[in-house]
Amino acid sequence: MDMTRRGFLKGAGVAVAAATATALPGCLQEASAGNGNRRWGMVIDLKRCIACKACGAACRLENKTPPGVAYGVFLDEEKGQFPHAYRLSFFRPCMQCEESSCAKVCPTGATSHRKDGIVGVDYEKCIGCRYCIAACPYGARSFDYGHNYIEAANNPYNAIPSSEYGAEYGLRSKGRSPIGNVRKCTFCLHLQDEKGEYREPTACSRTCMGKAIHFGDLKDPEAKCLVHGEKMQELLARRGHYRLKEELGNEPSVYYLPA
Amino acid sequence: MNELKTTFSQGSVIARLLGYLILLAVSAVGVWAIFGTLRDGHIEATTTQNVPWGLWVALYIFFLGLSAGSFLLSTLVYVFGIKKLEPAGPLALLQALGCLVLGGMLILLDLGHPARMYKIITSMNPTSVMAWMGFFYNIYIVVVLVEIYFALRPQLVLKAQAGGSSAWWYRLLALGSKRLDPASLARDKKWLMALGILGIPIAITVHGGVGSIFAVAKARPNWFGGLFPIIFLISALASGGALLALLTAVFSRLPKEAKRGVVRTIMRLTVGILAFDLLLMCSEIMVTYYGNIPHEVAGWNFAMFGPSWWVFWLIQLAVGAAIPILIVINPKTGRSAGWLGLAGLLVVVGIIGARWNLVVPPQLTPTFDALPNAYHHARFALGYVPSVHEFLVGLGVVALGLWAFLLLRKLLPLDEAELAGVENHHV
Ligand code: SF4
Ligand code: SF4
Ligand code: SF4
Repeated sequence: MDMTRRGFLKGAGVAVAAATATALPGCLQEASAGNGNRRWGMVIDLKRCIACKACGAACRLENKTPPGVAYGVFLDEEKGQFPHAYRLSFFRPCMQCEESSCAKVCPTGATSHRKDGIVGVDYEKCIGCRYCIAACPYGARSFDYGHNYIEAANNPYNAIPSSEYGAEYGLRSKGRSPIGNVRKCTFCLHLQDEKGEYREPTACSRTCMGKAIHFGDLKDPEAKCLVHGEKMQELLARRGHYRLKEELGNEPSVYYLPA
Repeated sequence: MNELKTTFSQGSVIARLLGYLILLAVSAVGVWAIFGTLRDGHIEATTTQNVPWGLWVALYIFFLGLSAGSFLLSTLVYVFGIKKLEPAGPLALLQALGCLVLGGMLILLDLGHPARMYKIITSMNPTSVMAWMGFFYNIYIVVVLVEIYFALRPQLVLKAQAGGSSAWWYRLLALGSKRLDPASLARDKKWLMALGILGIPIAITVHGGVGSIFAVAKARPNWFGGLFPIIFLISALASGGALLALLTAVFSRLPKEAKRGVVRTIMRLTVGILAFDLLLMCSEIMVTYYGNIPHEVAGWNFAMFGPSWWVFWLIQLAVGAAIPILIVINPKTGRSAGWLGLAGLLVVVGIIGARWNLVVPPQLTPTFDALPNAYHHARFALGYVPSVHEFLVGLGVVALGLWAFLLLRKLLPLDEAELAGVENHHV
């Protein structure tokens, strides 16, 4: 872990230096990027979920998202009226839609699909028009308005770089990306190695104490959940499953097993 | 009598001075706010992750609508040859250009990274409606600019030939052209007609395209649908006509009779278009409530009975539609250029309200009802009320537009072109 941390810091330093000299191309979002043999997805078992909301907290820590920017969030709602009241709650990461609304409408192609199905944002291309926010049916995108938890620039917290996109945009500074960009869950893309395989699974799935969030490849029928080892397709076949707002035709890569 | 005249003109000098002072003050504050946005980004704006597009986008589509509407009206003169409107042709074109620039300024400020705006062209994503809109936006600017040249060329040449200290300026604007013979005038007309014909589909594409940006967003049920771009276009026509009537009534130096005739023709047309616009809106509302799909109904509930209910009832309907329609159909007021100009102003104000209602209320229902409670931060809260800063930026842009208009009236032979239009009409 310490190694990785140092790696991030180094990466961030290089990125900051390079970004001041030239505009860095978002090396992770090129159309060619990603392992084409994989299609990363999630199967979220709501029967196992205890609504502790640790997934959302883990996400915030992993990606060091600033206030007002949310990647994975836990939606929790009481519906109906007594005696027919019920609770509807589930974790909502980005659905990494196969037919995503965000990449379709993005005027500059800053938001695009990788070969492994993950939808990423090239912060250098993104002009901050927020069309993708307006168009995403899952509310999965946030504009970075430039809020910080602690304003003092030399506060130690602010010196820890965010690790997303290989820490290329690790340290925040006014007027520079990702401030003024739209941001989203990337299935913790920075945890992939050079071959596009995960060194460790996404923060949300790793953290879940109820073992409700399964994360893995949806393409290979034999592929197993990277956290708990069950076969992904078996999880889907065993009980009924559904996807959110299926009727819109976005083909999400996140499946839910009913509570 | 003479005495009376002097007092009158003195009074108007004071009024004018006061007007300039107010405009100066408003522009100073507005420009300061604009610089604030450029320096600090959007931190002062109150838009949220549920309502990503706020006042600036509403004003942007307002200006773009004014532009498209003005341009399409100008084609009544240059393509369809409606002689009655001929004096208003050059002003309509200038209005089309000015509003386009103001809209561009607003949308630039609305971007998180304005310096990268060019990427819409250099890194264009062909599946994005917004990218195509940006593409046609540029072509549209060129068409309008060239048309303005041909509409003003004879007057520019005349001014240049008249000599004087500013002759060089008119020579420059005329791009060295010196001919005033009938053949060259006929050539101007031909160009105007050709560009107008070319411009009609382009203006419709640009403004219908802006409507389509919203209409294709299936995430927002109140935007999604085929009627939306059409409503955009129709309100654009109404606002363009209304502004043209207003500016003609206030600034035109035409003889009284001629002025009244032009303003009346424009306003009658405008009110007719406005009525059609209302019909389309009624259809949307009735189908939505009958269908009773909760999220769609919620959108209209927000518009009509939500916190900004007065925008719908008072600004859009009363000020923007009922009163101007009454002014135009009342035989007394319907014959006075002053009253008709006022009606134009009211329609313009009403369309600002209409644009607000097209942009904001459909976003007020979050994509998941639980979203505002899932993340406790103002950027996820329900609702949207523009901040003072956002209003100031809007005011600043409008004030800059007024300065540009006042300046252009000094620098371009607009009055002469108008008069030439009247003469043609009477020949
Ligand atoms: S959930 Fe939204 S942000 Fe994620 S891929 Fe789908 S449309 Fe894009
Ligand atoms: S905000 Fe950025 S990512 Fe989103 S649509 Fe605009 S350019 Fe694309
Ligand atoms: S995959 Fe990573 S970025 Fe996405 S919700 Fe989970 S922790 Fe957050």
